[in-house]
Amino acid sequence: MTALLEIKGLTIDIARDEGPARVVDGITLSLEQGESLGIVGESGCGKSLTMLSLVGLLPNRIRATGGTAIFGGRDLLAMSQRELRAVRGSEIGFIFQDPMTSLNPVMRIGDQIAEALIYQKSMAKPAALARAEELLATVGIPSPKERMTAFPHELSGGMRQRVMIAMGLAGEPKLLIADEPTTALDVTIQAQIVDLVRDLKSRSDMSVVWITHDLALIAGLADRIAVLYAGTVVEDAPVQALFDHPTHPYTRGLLASLPTLSDEPMSRLASIAGTPPEPGRRPPGCPFAPRCSLVEPACTAAVPQLTPVPGSDPRHRVACPVTTRGAS
Amino acid sequence: MEDRPTSLWRDAWKRLRRNKLAVTGLWIVAVLVLVAAIGPWITPYDFLSQNLDARNLPPSLSHLFGTDDLGRDVISRVIYGARTAFLVAVCVTVIALLIGVVLGAIAGFYGGIFDRVMMWFTDMTMSVPQLLLVVVINASLKQPIATWMEGMYLATLNPIWRNSALVDFVLVFGSMALISWPPYARLVRAQVLSIRSRPYVTAARALGLTNRIILLRYVLPNAMGPLIVAVSAGLGTAMVLESAFSFLGVGVNPPTPSWGNMISDGLRVWTNYPHLLIAPAAVLAVVTVAFNFLGDGLNDALNPKGQK
Amino acid sequence: MTTLLEIRNLSKHFDLRLGAFGERGARVHALDDFSVDIAEGETLSIVGESGCGKSTTGFAILNLHHPSGGSVLYKGTDLAQLDEDAMRPFRRDLQIVFQDPYSTLNPRMTIGEALSEPILFHKLASKADLPARLAQLLQDVGLSARFASRYPHELSGGQRQRVAIARALACQPRFIVCDEAISALDVSVQAQILNLLLDLQDKYGLTYLFIAHDLAVVRHISDRVGVMYLGRLAELAPAANLFATPLHPYTRALLSAVPEANPRAPRNRQMLQGEVPSPLAPPPGCRFHTRCPLARGLCRSQTPAFREITPGHLTACHAVTSPTATNWETPA
Repeated sequence: MTALLEIKGLTIDIARDEGPARVVDGITLSLEQGESLGIVGESGCGKSLTMLSLVGLLPNRIRATGGTAIFGGRDLLAMSQRELRAVRGSEIGFIFQDPMTSLNPVMRIGDQIAEALIYQKSMAKPAALARAEELLATVGIPSPKERMTAFPHELSGGMRQRVMIAMGLAGEPKLLIADEPTTALDVTIQAQIVDLVRDLKSRSDMSVVWITHDLALIAGLADRIAVLYAGTVVEDAPVQALFDHPTHPYTRGLLASLPTLSDEPMSRLASIAGTPPEPGRRPPGCPFAPRCSLVEPACTAAVPQLTPVPGSDPRHRVACPVTTRGAS
Repeated sequence: MEDRPTSLWRDAWKRLRRNKLAVTGLWIVAVLVLVAAIGPWITPYDFLSQNLDARNLPPSLSHLFGTDDLGRDVISRVIYGARTAFLVAVCVTVIALLIGVVLGAIAGFYGGIFDRVMMWFTDMTMSVPQLLLVVVINASLKQPIATWMEGMYLATLNPIWRNSALVDFVLVFGSMALISWPPYARLVRAQVLSIRSRPYVTAARALGLTNRIILLRYVLPNAMGPLIVAVSAGLGTAMVLESAFSFLGVGVNPPTPSWGNMISDGLRVWTNYPHLLIAPAAVLAVVTVAFNFLGDGLNDALNPKGQK
Repeated sequence: MTTLLEIRNLSKHFDLRLGAFGERGARVHALDDFSVDIAEGETLSIVGESGCGKSTTGFAILNLHHPSGGSVLYKGTDLAQLDEDAMRPFRRDLQIVFQDPYSTLNPRMTIGEALSEPILFHKLASKADLPARLAQLLQDVGLSARFASRYPHELSGGQRQRVAIARALACQPRFIVCDEAISALDVSVQAQILNLLLDLQDKYGLTYLFIAHDLAVVRHISDRVGVMYLGRLAELAPAANLFATPLHPYTRALLSAVPEANPRAPRNRQMLQGEVPSPLAPPPGCRFHTRCPLARGLCRSQTPAFREITPGHLTACHAVTSPTATNWETPA
């Protein structure tokens, strides 16, 4: 398999009045054609910013300041806004968390999808409208013909998220980035959407990146998982290896603090003491060291690099010198 | 966590100080306030004293802005005009603000019939053309008030009741405040409506606190931000409004100097003596722009999420 | 166990005026016929999806939304009949913690001021004892006394939620409604707050009404669980029973939709079709019948009674008669 996307040493800074603060600190990640990658982390860990930086959609005052992101032989980070516009939609599709604010409230949904097609694929309007209707059917919207003329507010949250997915798929992208697409939805609707994307994925060679805070959700969705903490990748492993041998103390803590239906009732959950560092107040060395129970003097000396985990899948790599000891 | 706690006000002040335009505006406003306050002690000449030997002089070292057709020193009159403008702007804004905040807060917080009556009242006021209202008030009330004040003078023999400028001010304050309060009322009502449903207000209710405490300590302090911005812009607007009315002869009347009536006088002779028009007009323009810079800066400082 | 709150047929409707001139009236059935006894010291959880009326339940019990009908008996008084002034003496005992940590605290008040307000208002401590009381409250929720001089925007989400809990504790309450109190927090912080709530319950004998949408979280904190759908209670059972033998078809679907943190977990999910109907026009009969795999004629016309199937395990479903069998096996 060949790498579709190769991110190396990505850094993202937020410009503040007191000076820049680093929010993404040297992320290195790769994604293969047809692979489904889960990016997991808590709020502020930089998971969304990392993906937004690829398509030039970072908010004001936030900039990618270093690294490369090779996609189809070209460095996305070096592209102009004009070049990125050609990539967005047609090669990299996006689904956002909040379907209400991501859709134009004064435009009929059929027109919104058709517009993407006219723009990205230079389709004629009648052909684009016909294709939009097909897409609505593909994402499981009942009576798509009638829905074409509906406004976003006339649809339920789940239906709006299906429309967003239809728009993300409109350009038949090679890579679909789904940024917490089910966080705003109820659990029964979440199950529907997850099944839909999994089904769409199985019918094409599209790669999918799932950005989520929910380890349980991603367990059934991704081939591989990267766990982010404070702007760095702390663990990167095939999904099976991650759940069988969670190795980084943060990953272990996250899994232990995750409530599940098989836990004892009224039992105390394990929790990780403290809170993640704020941008600009990162501790030296391993960013997790201040909250880590296994911390050693070496942890605060240098930022640990991703190294293979002895006895696990060869692709299982962890940025922790303590738990990967014994590896070369 | 070592640094000392910062309230939102302190943070806003820090942001404001970094905004160059806003600081410029703030300085100009500060100079205006200072000049208005100590005007009588710094004017080189009395604003009323005429010198018929020195009429329509161009700007010079002895008369920085020149003199007018009666030989009065223009800079002295502009400085007195600042007093007029500032006095009118502050009084009008304070009166309008008091009416607006009380009505808006009650309407927004208690809702129901209060709200409907208040909104009906505001809409009524806003639907009357402002200029017409001021002209009508001037035409119908000026004489009765003057008569009443003459009566007060005869009864008390206090010379203050003989001051004709006072009649102007009462009329100007009253009529301008009357047309200026509805925007404040609407703003406060909208703020209160949105804040009323925030969890911290519900939490205050759940704690058993009384409505008065909730309104004064939880709702109003959080409605202040947009109100401060509106007041800053409102002061500038009130100054322009005062000048406009004085220009049209329904505001402050000569000989009390007002930038509006100075502009009006200057306009008649501007081809021959442009300085008589330029001096008050330029000062009015600078001050208005300063208030707008300050307002914009306050808006960015108090609502940092909106900044680009 | 003694009963703390006796809730009978509690309902809350919101009347809307639609159309340009408010000419069309509409009624949102947010909560209908909610009856339950809450025992002293227990945690009753209410779960359901958005719009099911679970938050309205908490607001109606506390009379923060004046109930449209029914009663809430506390210490021999029906709270549902009280106006704001008459309610005030009871507020101390009945507290609430909200979901959003960013709007739960007054941004213009320091943490100390926010916590002092209820203490001074209800005269629970003298001015001289206040600093000690504040330190105690902050310590109870795992914060140092230094936080008293801080403003909310200087705190993280988890810290703010701790302060919100401290504010509720300041009144020395007996009953706290936790309205999605941990839903907005990150997983690792969520666990901290959940454990804190359990510790405080042990320490002060608190009674919780825990409102949540996350069934896995609810399992950790509840003695009993109620499942709501479209304004009505669908099932009520001791937590262990509910998770082991869910009876109502909606509860079963809800449980099977919860993702499992195991990539090998089998995926034989009972997927629910369609979405929740609008509470403006709830379906007649059983409100779940439009999505129910077991629905038949009776369900479309008649509201099912809330019946006890096994001791303490109640459900409102025509189809369920015993823990193992349903009235009909094949959907009509």
